[in-house]
Amino acid sequence: MADYKCEPTKWNEMKKPVEGGRSTYQLKSWNPTKKKWGPYTKTGPAPVWFSEANATNWTESMICKAKDLFYEAKLNECFEKGDEVAIKIHYGEWNRTAILRPEYIAAICEEVKACGGHPYVVNDTTLSYHTFDNMAISQYQLEGAIRHGYTDATFGCPVIIADGYAGEDDYRVEIPEGNILKETYIGRAIAEADAMIVMAHARGHSITMYGGILKQLGIGCQSKRGKYITHLAHWGDPHDAIGWPKFTDQCPGKACKFHQMCDDSCPRQAHHVTEHGKVFYPERCRLCYSCQVTCIFSGMSGITFEESYFPNAMIAHADAALGALKCFDRGKVGFMNCAIDVCPECDCFPWAGLAVCPDVGIFAGKDLVAVEEATLDAIDNMPISPGSVAEEKGLKPGDDKFRMINGFSPRITMAAAEKIGLGTRKYKLNNYEPTLNPENAAKWQIRKGGEGNHKPVTVRLRDVFAKHDLATEVMPFRRTEYNKEWVFNEWKKYDPFKGETPK
Amino acid sequence: MADFNATGESKVFWVDAHPMAFDNNVTHKLIKLMRESDATKGLSEGMEAALKVNTSEDGYTYGLRPMFVRVVADEIGLVTKNHPAICDGIKLVDYWREAKGNVFLKTAYAGGYSNDTLGGNFVINGGFSGDEGNLYQIDCDDNILGGVKVGTTICRSDALWVLSHVTAHPLFGINGALLNGGFECLVCSERTRVLRGLDPYPFNGNTNSVQDLEGFCRRALEGHVGVRNSVGGRIFYVNYIWDVTLQPDYFPFSEAPFVENIGFLASSDAVALDAATYALLQKRLNSNGGERNFILEQTNVEFVGVLRQAEALGLGSLNYELKHVL
Repeated sequence: MADYKCEPTKWNEMKKPVEGGRSTYQLKSWNPTKKKWGPYTKTGPAPVWFSEANATNWTESMICKAKDLFYEAKLNECFEKGDEVAIKIHYGEWNRTAILRPEYIAAICEEVKACGGHPYVVNDTTLSYHTFDNMAISQYQLEGAIRHGYTDATFGCPVIIADGYAGEDDYRVEIPEGNILKETYIGRAIAEADAMIVMAHARGHSITMYGGILKQLGIGCQSKRGKYITHLAHWGDPHDAIGWPKFTDQCPGKACKFHQMCDDSCPRQAHHVTEHGKVFYPERCRLCYSCQVTCIFSGMSGITFEESYFPNAMIAHADAALGALKCFDRGKVGFMNCAIDVCPECDCFPWAGLAVCPDVGIFAGKDLVAVEEATLDAIDNMPISPGSVAEEKGLKPGDDKFRMINGFSPRITMAAAEKIGLGTRKYKLNNYEPTLNPENAAKWQIRKGGEGNHKPVTVRLRDVFAKHDLATEVMPFRRTEYNKEWVFNEWKKYDPFKGETPK
Repeated sequence: MADFNATGESKVFWVDAHPMAFDNNVTHKLIKLMRESDATKGLSEGMEAALKVNTSEDGYTYGLRPMFVRVVADEIGLVTKNHPAICDGIKLVDYWREAKGNVFLKTAYAGGYSNDTLGGNFVINGGFSGDEGNLYQIDCDDNILGGVKVGTTICRSDALWVLSHVTAHPLFGINGALLNGGFECLVCSERTRVLRGLDPYPFNGNTNSVQDLEGFCRRALEGHVGVRNSVGGRIFYVNYIWDVTLQPDYFPFSEAPFVENIGFLASSDAVALDAATYALLQKRLNSNGGERNFILEQTNVEFVGVLRQAEALGLGSLNYELKHVL
């Protein structure tokens, strides 16, 4: 993008009114596909940078390492000075606890700004995934985002719902390359950005088995109608239960204590309870999952999914991810997977199961599929967390964890994604660990010192104490006699191990 | 002169800017205005209300203080038990050509309009692009527009509150309930249609003919009919006669206010409210005698004519009773 200039609006050039009306609006928003789009990796394995989830000093803080990876993976080259940079994250469902901590996102927003970009944080509205879903309405989603700490004050930039107040502010994108989908709809705040950094919380997912950066594009960037299409709501007939929920004969009707919640779950009133079951009006259904999720997670089995639905939805969401990527020129999107709190389910769940493995670390790169493949491999190779569903199912390190936990291998998505040009599954992992030295220790501190008039806190306190030395002027601070018995023996009476050094 | 007061078909409530006291400061006055005017009567627990405000362009420095909005939002929240959505549309009338959602928000934040200050739910009416909305029919005879597209934050709400910063307006005479609750609630493309190429910046040296201005006022009023239909008539209006500048909030600069602060007015009748606002302004501007029509001199818009047209469109009544809340 050229240097941005504030040019006053030329009103005289706007004599012709823009016509209103939904049909015109749709025509005008037809297909923003950039001409220079293309897969990032042309030959050979794609480089992926990784830093493990552990820290023992200043430089190894996960926040510092996220910033380091941003530059190591050259994500700073995804945009130019003056570019409007969308930071795509998941805002997290109400009452969800395992979300990406806001510090990670703030860290990347800070670096985008430091490089001259104009960041803004985005997420689209969702469909109604269950009766109490807060993300389907933008206003509720923002209330939830604020509750999670995702605010303009936290990030230092706007926090926006990408597909508008109602989830209808979108662009149609054609994807003839798609395995299943041939079109989708992307939220305008994403489609109109010059560049995008996708930050994903890598964890499981009940529909796509695993959710990372591809899921952030394939569902997260889709507007409401994009999500309906990706759900395959336009596919098949009711008996297939592909574009519709599967109603079984297991519904106890009004005997189910959740029957009112179940009836309330459909925004289009496509089903209602009877004495001994449900009546379903398939012509009203658009497959938002709300009834299925409400039923399944109430512990019931009256409304569910057809097994073969899942792999098809997984492949479709890879197509939809391509739709999101096609809104950008080649190399204008950077990816970061944070495999931290690797729970079995998505951040759109209003609860969080125990992580299936210990925290893994952060992955970064410009090839979507390579970053995903590296993340999946690393998660699979991690030990099993005690008490988690992975342990309950008897998993071992090296197993395809999300296949065993959620039903299908996430590699289905990766193979489909590779086929349509989203990236390569071949990757070269670059392990990054920062060197401990004074420069690196200072590099990402709130006041790093060394440059201009910046002073680290201790040096700054010298200035403060020079004006008012708290230690001598205010506190009654003086050395006194002390009891040596306390220093060497008395405290041991409070120690259950009597002062013994651990071996 | 503006003196529409007759038998009092509609009620307009006014709380004066003076005097102030520890127990009668701006917050007290606004709360008193809300309660005396029974402003929240149409609301009930669980309703989602939208508050349409006027955020300011970069460079305009007399914008309404966010606290003035927050007090009203909190009063609504007491009834609905929800914090209302506080919104404004992307500035189609955008001097710096930065009409994108993220830039709009940054400008609003710089003016103090943020989730932190407003208690949450500060959103863009019409989404990131400013064009997200629904079409509503204008159900009055001989209308020009046929229908208008109203921004989603407003048309998807259960009730609308129009909180207007009263200023002079080069196209409409006065920015108040009628303009802010109509033209300003439309999506960007619709506002372009209503503008029809009029130059909203007379300081550029471009002037608009009286005929063009009359046409704009008519279309803008028709827009108000569409907005009213979009929320089923559930609208309440508050006019803040505070820092009344010659420039409206969309201007990239502002000069000192041309009249002292008069206070806050509230009504469920937009025409009555703007008429009372205009009358109070005229009275204060002519407090030394005389019958200068300051608004007409400055804007080329005969605001009384606008009000009469609004009444003819069924937007309210010029027959009102002004109740001074003490």
